Amino acid sequence: MDYTKYRIKAEKEVREVISNINNLCIIWCKKCFSEFKEEPADECGKVVEVARELNIEIIECRGIDFLCNNHLTGKVLKNFKDNIPLAVISCGIGIQFVSNFFNGNRKVLALADSLPQSGNATSIVGYHGIALGEEKCAACGQCYLEKTGGICPVVSCAKSLLNGPCGGANKDGKCEVNKELPCAWIEIYKRLEKQKKLMDKNIDIRNYNIFSVEEKVRYVKNNQERRKEGFYGGLYPLEKKELTETIPLKIFDPPDVFSVFLSQHTGRPAKLIVKAGDRVKKGQKIGEPDGFISSAVHSPVSGKVIAIEERIHPVSRIPQVAITIENDGTEILDGSVESLTDWDKLPKERLIEILKEKGIVGLGGAMFPSSVKLCPPKPVDTLIVNGCECEPYLNADNRLIIEHPEEILKGIEIVRYLLEVSNIIFAIEDNKKEAIEVIRRCSENYPALKLETPRTKYPQGAERMLIKRTTGRDVPEGGLPFDVGCVVFNVGTLYSIYRAIYEGMPVIERPVTVAGENAIAAGNYIIRIGTHFSDILDTCFGIKSLPSQYELRMGGPMMGVLQKDVNSSVIKGTTGLLLLEKYPVGVSEENTCIRCGRCVDACPMELIPYYYAYYGQKCLWNEMVKYKVKNCIECGCCQYICSSKIDLISLIKKGKRNADNKT
Amino acid sequence: MLITKLKEREEILSVLNSKNVFIFKCFGCKEVYLPEGEIDLLLTELKCMERMARVDYLCREEFTVKYLGKYADVLKKADKIVVFSCGVGVQVVAKCIPETPVIPGCDTHYINGFQGLTTQDVDCEMCGQCWLNLTGGICPITSCSKSLLNGPCGGANKDGKCEVNKDMDCGWVLIYKRLKLLGEEEILKRHSVNIRDYKLIINGDKKE
Repeated sequence: MDYTKYRIKAEKEVREVISNINNLCIIWCKKCFSEFKEEPADECGKVVEVARELNIEIIECRGIDFLCNNHLTGKVLKNFKDNIPLAVISCGIGIQFVSNFFNGNRKVLALADSLPQSGNATSIVGYHGIALGEEKCAACGQCYLEKTGGICPVVSCAKSLLNGPCGGANKDGKCEVNKELPCAWIEIYKRLEKQKKLMDKNIDIRNYNIFSVEEKVRYVKNNQERRKEGFYGGLYPLEKKELTETIPLKIFDPPDVFSVFLSQHTGRPAKLIVKAGDRVKKGQKIGEPDGFISSAVHSPVSGKVIAIEERIHPVSRIPQVAITIENDGTEILDGSVESLTDWDKLPKERLIEILKEKGIVGLGGAMFPSSVKLCPPKPVDTLIVNGCECEPYLNADNRLIIEHPEEILKGIEIVRYLLEVSNIIFAIEDNKKEAIEVIRRCSENYPALKLETPRTKYPQGAERMLIKRTTGRDVPEGGLPFDVGCVVFNVGTLYSIYRAIYEGMPVIERPVTVAGENAIAAGNYIIRIGTHFSDILDTCFGIKSLPSQYELRMGGPMMGVLQKDVNSSVIKGTTGLLLLEKYPVGVSEENTCIRCGRCVDACPMELIPYYYAYYGQKCLWNEMVKYKVKNCIECGCCQYICSSKIDLISLIKKGKRNADNKT
Repeated sequence: MLITKLKEREEILSVLNSKNVFIFKCFGCKEVYLPEGEIDLLLTELKCMERMARVDYLCREEFTVKYLGKYADVLKKADKIVVFSCGVGVQVVAKCIPETPVIPGCDTHYINGFQGLTTQDVDCEMCGQCWLNLTGGICPITSCSKSLLNGPCGGANKDGKCEVNKDMDCGWVLIYKRLKLLGEEEILKRHSVNIRDYKLIINGDKKE
């Protein structure tokens, strides 16, 4: 099926339009709504031919995905050379958008006609929705479907009759206007017969007077504002925060056995420094950082190391080394756990060294070693405290802000001392009213702290989006927050920095939201690192293994990693553990894209995700790199919105992995 | 573009008040504006949320079949299915489950032209014969409330607002201004605009 919306004009007309000019730039839209089975053919061949014949120099010729996407296309149009006529091959929207963009400063030529697809109904007209199916809607404004058994007389009857058949159908039940079409009213009769009812009501005549310009203008304005608010793209998924937002943080009872992974951070896994049979104390270092980008790992309990074994890692989902420790229940603290109140007397290098020793990494989910962020290679003027928690369901950070604001502020003080920043922005999404109120009260005594409460939008908690939203700065492509003078710290990380310094406690536990279907004890828990998922499922859901109709996610529903093995365990990046009912239509890598363009509209990194589906299925990794797959932050917006349910994230991960292997 | 509106309250109440009704709500389609908040309010008020499934892309038959499969048990008992979606979704559900009456919860409105994949200010009516070369890139069919092709009707007021709707700019005034900026207002004298070929609407994509 193909619902392409334009056709290039006849050669005679093209010739007429481009005569009398010396040079020309051409842009053509790569079309929408057609199954993406091959790359879009170059549309400008015919124009180039004619131009050559007329001795017109072609300066540039470029295909653009979704010309009507005003944000992305605007960026491309800015770079076109001045004062050269621009020929546009697209539907009427694209052409009008381009000419409005230049607003009379440049000659814009239309070289295509839109293909009519809507109108008032004779056989093939009407809107097809997003799918490329047969059913269409003429959008008459007075739905008759309840009376006609779900078959639309406006679209399906060649005469759009509302009160029954015209009587012109032949014996086979075919329409007199078009012998290929079945008579809609015969179909309606058959359908109603099946439902054992016949039409019981008269159908009102159509009211052609329902049109409202104001309504449209209001809708368009609202839609555009929502879409562009703060940053390009993004989504508004169901928040579902109400399930756990009022439940205070509670300590999760330490289980009998823990498995602590050596890889709990970005970078190289920690070096093992204990062996099976060793006795360890709570907070004792059991893994040494291996290199600059790495972090230490500590024992969450006192007890005995009973095994060093490979287990399925919750993020990489491949077997990785974990230290299994048996809890002896004594909770004896290691000697290294001691408070350091005069930290501001220490040299900065020493303080950063201590934080590295205490295993501090970004607890927002990315697990980037904080010690690296604290030695920025470029001057930094702004610290952004990330309390957005934009993932649905999760409330762990929210509760942490509500219950431990003073500690978080002390953590901020430490980071401020280390980075010598002048601006501190505390960002909390506006759906967390209580947390906002708490920080507002605290910040009264803290003039350097600026509270920002952006409107909820996913993925606002991602570094780049947050920087854009709070400071207006654009992190360059392939760059890091340092490049625009910013450092972003999650509230959980700041809390753990506070505990590492004031209590001497390394990262051995973290707040985790546990929620989902049929939970018997959903809530926000302080869970020790290394706690097996099976123990959490047992306590919070009363189940021992994964029921087949549910899926277990570590993290939120958008970015969370699907877990197949309940013997995996909590790591420093575990923000939540959700047991959700599977959606009836599962995602698959094989589904065919229909170029509906919704992923392009939703991608906050301004990428074109549907190429990843196309090239990923063909294993053309280099092509994926050309379309900047490495810039992808895997926020999951494209997959969430995909109308073909393509497993884009898994294709993107494959693409990144294979691209890395090559270089 | 498509905008859906809830049907009259009485009409929906008469259906939803019966016990054996199952409800589908199709969310998230950017091409179709669905008043999801209003629907939820109504369903909460009628205590129907339990009997509602929130799904996406009902217009895709292969998805709809799976949704119907998942809720097969409740659907067997249901004597009616109410669908909140555009007209396409309702028709697909009705086609997949022909024995059960399917009731639309919304009316689908057609609002002047197609807006592209990204909702925006400009519209295209897909007339099949693009006029934009003659009009400085402003479409006379969608920007003039009378869709005039040969110039303004003369009814605009001094501020250049349309006589049909004072909130709307006169499309032809905009066209004239744009052509003037381009230095091409002569076009209006040179070209006589052909009348529209409405046959294209009926068999547009069959034309060769």
